[in-house]
Amino acid sequence: MTDTRVTNAIRRLRFEHGEMTQQALAERIGVTRQTVNAIEQGKYSPSLEVAFRIAAVFGQPLEAVFQYQPGA
Amino acid sequence: MSFREKSDWLSFISLCLLGIYFFEIGRGVLGGNQPGGPYYYFTLFWVLVVALVVIQVVTHIVLAVRAPQDAKTPLDERERLIRLRATQPAYFVLLVGAFSTIGTMHMGFNTWQFAHCILFVIWIAELLRYGMRLFYYRRAV
Repeated sequence: MTDTRVTNAIRRLRFEHGEMTQQALAERIGVTRQTVNAIEQGKYSPSLEVAFRIAAVFGQPLEAVFQYQPGA
Repeated sequence: MSFREKSDWLSFISLCLLGIYFFEIGRGVLGGNQPGGPYYYFTLFWVLVVALVVIQVVTHIVLAVRAPQDAKTPLDERERLIRLRATQPAYFVLLVGAFSTIGTMHMGFNTWQFAHCILFVIWIAELLRYGMRLFYYRRAV
């Protein structure tokens, strides 16, 4: 499985939200910590539903959290 | 490592135990004799199955007690995807193996040999299923 072309700002947003842990984020969006880690590292592209939940946790629009890199 | 990945490792390793049985079967077939008396294979099979069940139950209880929250967390979408992807090649192997086993009926295999071919195919498919799950967990899908 190759890395996706979807990048994200989850690491930075977690830092800006009081160093929120991956576990804390995982519990709030209803996935495992390993899944948050895979999303953060660009190894796994989440479903739209999970992507919206992540954006909602940080109070940001979806495009501020996830960016699509065409041809990357 | 998550509870489910540990669980899959345990399942994979305990399933490998059944390899002892198939090794003995292969040794008997190639050697042309039944080692250790008429009930040797029957006893060996059930001892290994009971051992597999006991190992699975005990180790999963220990794992769940050590990480109860992790054990209670329902499957998320990535884990479901991993399971789906791992099932595809295993199902293919199971199908090919099942049809190949049907082919052995035309090669003069008796019921005992036919049953063991089926058992072997199921064992390989299950090993592949757990192996592929571990592969995808390690590759961080």
